[in-house]
Amino acid sequence: MKMKNPVQGVKSLYYAKDNQKYIIADTPDIGVLKSLGIVKNAIVFKKMTHKLGGPVLLMVESSQIAIGKDIAEKILVRG
Amino acid sequence: MAACHEINEDPKLYQKSNKILLMGNPNVGKSVFFSNLTGIRVVSSNYAGTTVSYTEGTMKLGNETYTLIDVPGTYSLEATSKAEEVAVRFINSNPAAIICVLDATNLERNIKLGLDIQRYNIPVVYALNMVDVAKRRGYDINLRLLARELGAPVIPTIAVKNEGIDKLTEELQKILNSSKTTCGNCASCPGCAKLGMNTWDRAREIAARVRIKTEGKPSFLDRLGNSMLKPWPGIPIALLTIIVSLGVIIGAGKFLQEYILGPLVGDVLVPFFKMIISYIVSEGILHNVLIGEYGIFTIGLEWIIESILPFVFLFYVVFSFLEDSGILPRLSVLFDSIMRKMGVQGGSMITILLGYGCAVPAIIGSRTATTKKERLMISAIVCFAVPCISQTGALISLFAGFSPILLVLMFLLSFAVMMIVSSVLSRIIKGKVDPMIIEIPNLLMPNGKAYAKKLMLRMKNFFLDAEVPMLISIVIAALLKETGLLEKIAVYLEPIVSGWLGLPRSAVIALILGIIRREMAVAPLLEIEGLTALQAFVGGTVALLYLPCLSVFGILSKEFNTKTALAISLATTLNALLVGGLINQLAHLFM
Ligand SMILES: Nc1nc2c(ncn2[C@@H]2O[C@H](COP(=O)(O)OP(=O)(O)O)[C@@H](O)[C@H]2O)c(=O)[nH]1
Ligand SMILES: [Mg+2]
Repeated sequence: MKMKNPVQGVKSLYYAKDNQKYIIADTPDIGVLKSLGIVKNAIVFKKMTHKLGGPVLLMVESSQIAIGKDIAEKILVRG
Repeated sequence: MAACHEINEDPKLYQKSNKILLMGNPNVGKSVFFSNLTGIRVVSSNYAGTTVSYTEGTMKLGNETYTLIDVPGTYSLEATSKAEEVAVRFINSNPAAIICVLDATNLERNIKLGLDIQRYNIPVVYALNMVDVAKRRGYDINLRLLARELGAPVIPTIAVKNEGIDKLTEELQKILNSSKTTCGNCASCPGCAKLGMNTWDRAREIAARVRIKTEGKPSFLDRLGNSMLKPWPGIPIALLTIIVSLGVIIGAGKFLQEYILGPLVGDVLVPFFKMIISYIVSEGILHNVLIGEYGIFTIGLEWIIESILPFVFLFYVVFSFLEDSGILPRLSVLFDSIMRKMGVQGGSMITILLGYGCAVPAIIGSRTATTKKERLMISAIVCFAVPCISQTGALISLFAGFSPILLVLMFLLSFAVMMIVSSVLSRIIKGKVDPMIIEIPNLLMPNGKAYAKKLMLRMKNFFLDAEVPMLISIVIAALLKETGLLEKIAVYLEPIVSGWLGLPRSAVIALILGIIRREMAVAPLLEIEGLTALQAFVGGTVALLYLPCLSVFGILSKEFNTKTALAISLATTLNALLVGGLINQLAHLFM
């Protein structure tokens, strides 16, 4: 994966490994993301990235959330 | 019991006394509480709606009467959306108390809302709902600690089983009768002590402390719901779901048509009305308009009850089930990548599918789209390429005399047009489409009563919206036929209808009536004797792609503007005549 990361250990949620817990480091400023609890410092569990430009599937607590590629790429997480 | 009505804006309500607000995140069970507490059943859906309306009802507590208000679901009180704005306005309108429903399976963001509400110093009772689901998922919650952190009573509930409701109303009465605010001792109350902290961080911290992880046993539906989100076995399950849905709609529809409604219309209703009307009205135009070849009581009953009603009914039976069970959002996730290539996003799939029922609710439903461009794309796709169920019903009846292959070809044609139209539009319409962000609800068996209610509501709307234009078009058909006007118009349209499309002259009436109701572009073809398979297919194609009906034109002008409505109408009509004609000409070239 070729992504220049400004901060050590921070990567894009879209390309992060499946089936793993992450801490949100940074998200685009979108109201819906905030509402769903995808805010800085939240703990999320990434289930998978769908192929062919499909969405990322993740769990925030016990709710499942799907996020389209273009936004998921901009969500940065820490391992 | 008081009346229950949906209100969009009513300044008077803000002044009303004795209001109790029912608040909480979307889909936490507020509406179930509402109906349990007021005795009024309301339609509840399994995904977050967007039309900001609320429902009010009367609730008796002891000797007092209160107005209970089902406030639109919100995640916070930061007024970042229409629903949140409404919620904030309510909270600022001096309510007597708030019942805040929390979802026990998503503590963080529910506590966050609780903390937001706490700041308003209004008496609150918390209903910690869905404790059954939480238990299944392996969560136990320390209620005493949670109550202390929120500075108000917390009652565990299972709304759908009516569990905990009595305790909730008991606590509600207590706080209503006690002094104004629940939080008097600011120094020791954790609510006020940490007010400076970011609410999200605080919510997360509280959730972590009150939640006790236990051994969970995911149910079969939980596991099925999860596997439906993965390409394997999700995509095969999705395709199977679509095939079964179509099978149920078409198969059961034809069964109803042939064995129940057909005989009812043909052997009972039509002869009955014929007898009565022949008795009252003497031969002449009126007689023919009523019970002639295109008469209201002959063709009208046949078209509406026999050809269209069974399919409309079954479409909504299936669609409402898919909607309330949580299957539709799963389809959105699986097909997001394809929808993206069409220039929209996965979430729009639900709206487009709704268009297979009727374009009007789909165009209204496109309000959920976050950008203007996406709204326009969805509406245009529905107008160009999606047949409404009434029309599909008519097409099924039309092709029944030929081969089911025609129906399959017609669907393939509609997909092809959809792909082409969407890729062209995504290039010419300016603006952007936001990527999908959706929460996927649990897979569950829909609540029987809520489901039945929703189905009834949809059928009622169908009758109200469809019946009148349908009757009008039948009257016009009868008049055109009986006055001989049809023949005169047919002469003018002859080059198009017979020359280019290769249809019999009498098909002209289909083109005219198609303007009023979509299925009426097909129905008259059913009456033409000796139609060939090619003619049926060309006629069906034109009808499928043709100008959306008058109601669609109306809703397009209302939701967008007249210019857009005219542009879509003109483009669809030209497209219909072009594609239909090309099919006819090419077929003749090769046959
Ligand atoms: N298992 C379970 N389901 C519930 C409970 N309360 C509500 N539901 C279901 O959750 C869904 C959403 O409820 P609804 O009242 O429409 O939520 P609202 O958006 O807050 O009004 C419906 O399908 C309800 O049947 C509960 O305590 N347990
Ligand atoms: Mg509701």
